[in-house]
Amino acid sequence: MGRVVGVVRDPVAGAVARLLMAGAIASVVLVAAGVVLMLAAGLRPTADSGPGPDPASIVADVVGLRPAGLLWAGLLLTVALPTARVALALAGFLRLGDRRASAVAAGVLGVLALAFAVALATS
Amino acid sequence: MAVTLLLAAGGLGAGVFGALLGLGGGILIVPLLTLAFGLPFREAVAISLLAVITTSSASAAVYLERGVANLRLGMTLELLTATGALAGGLLAFILDERLLAGIFAAMLVYVAVSMARRREAGIDERPPDLVVDPTADASPPANGFAATLGGPGYAIRRLPLGLALSAFAGLQSALLGVGGGIVKVPAMHLAMGVPLRVATATSNLTIGVTASASAVLYLLRDALDPYVAGPVVVGVFVGATAAARIAHRVPLRVLRLLFVVVLVYVAVQMAGRAFGVVLG
Repeated sequence: MGRVVGVVRDPVAGAVARLLMAGAIASVVLVAAGVVLMLAAGLRPTADSGPGPDPASIVADVVGLRPAGLLWAGLLLTVALPTARVALALAGFLRLGDRRASAVAAGVLGVLALAFAVALATS
Repeated sequence: MAVTLLLAAGGLGAGVFGALLGLGGGILIVPLLTLAFGLPFREAVAISLLAVITTSSASAAVYLERGVANLRLGMTLELLTATGALAGGLLAFILDERLLAGIFAAMLVYVAVSMARRREAGIDERPPDLVVDPTADASPPANGFAATLGGPGYAIRRLPLGLALSAFAGLQSALLGVGGGIVKVPAMHLAMGVPLRVATATSNLTIGVTASASAVLYLLRDALDPYVAGPVVVGVFVGATAAARIAHRVPLRVLRLLFVVVLVYVAVQMAGRAFGVVLG
């Protein structure tokens, strides 16, 4: 006979859930707008190559409604969202005084920071 | 226009499967982009990693809100999966593409067999809110750190084994552009005693961090085309969000059977690519 298992109610989870949904919607809205502008400009995926990311010009490209700028803004936000989620969880665990969970969250952030440093060093 | 719609439709399908099964969707996106659209393997992996993050964010938000995903357990496993993903992301630029395709094909066969067996085993598919899990371990709760990671009705077993498997999940995630859920879900459910629905939801939460650890490597090496990634990401978001909201109502047995068929077909295609054989 199995045991009854229920749901997990974590006080930090609600805040993390709201951040994930808001961030995912924001990134997809940016990407979707970029796709619409890409189509309007007659650009074809797989046939036309898109430019690489250029953080220096992204804001200007978004304001100027250039497809690549909107696409990259959304895609970079997508990549950054999990890190933001871990940072928010860390803040929540610290506020609750949960030292073990805080240490784990800080460790995950450290690995993500290391990944970014390695990517910068080897790119 | 047609290519854009096809990419978005492919992303939508991958998002649905990924969110429902905790796999992230990369398992369908990489074959789709390489076999149907002729993209280089690494470019397909880079786009797939973005799709995995999108699936994770969209579906984990719902699963966390409903209290199904276990945040503390997920973050503990993330420590090792992110480390494995970092190593895998570096290895991916050294290994031959045909070798990667061969590994991918072998992985697909493994997943197909696992899914077929799970279907035969008749795992409980009722909503996660109140499930009697016949496979749950009746052993006493774990002591120490592991004891703080369990949930109502289940305790965490064999945490070191789960952590080791998580590191392997991160490695293969970065190498192959998949979420790592194909390792994490069985690791949590079979090795650590986590109920299947909780394992699937928690896997959806963790795959985002795993994928982002290696996605940044691909991004900074210009291995990503925004014109292809855009439509795929939009499709994945729509599919993953919808799937997470209806997950408890979907007959997973039928879905698993379809998934096994698709996996076997794609495995054959990828094996053909690995050995330089063009298949119908």
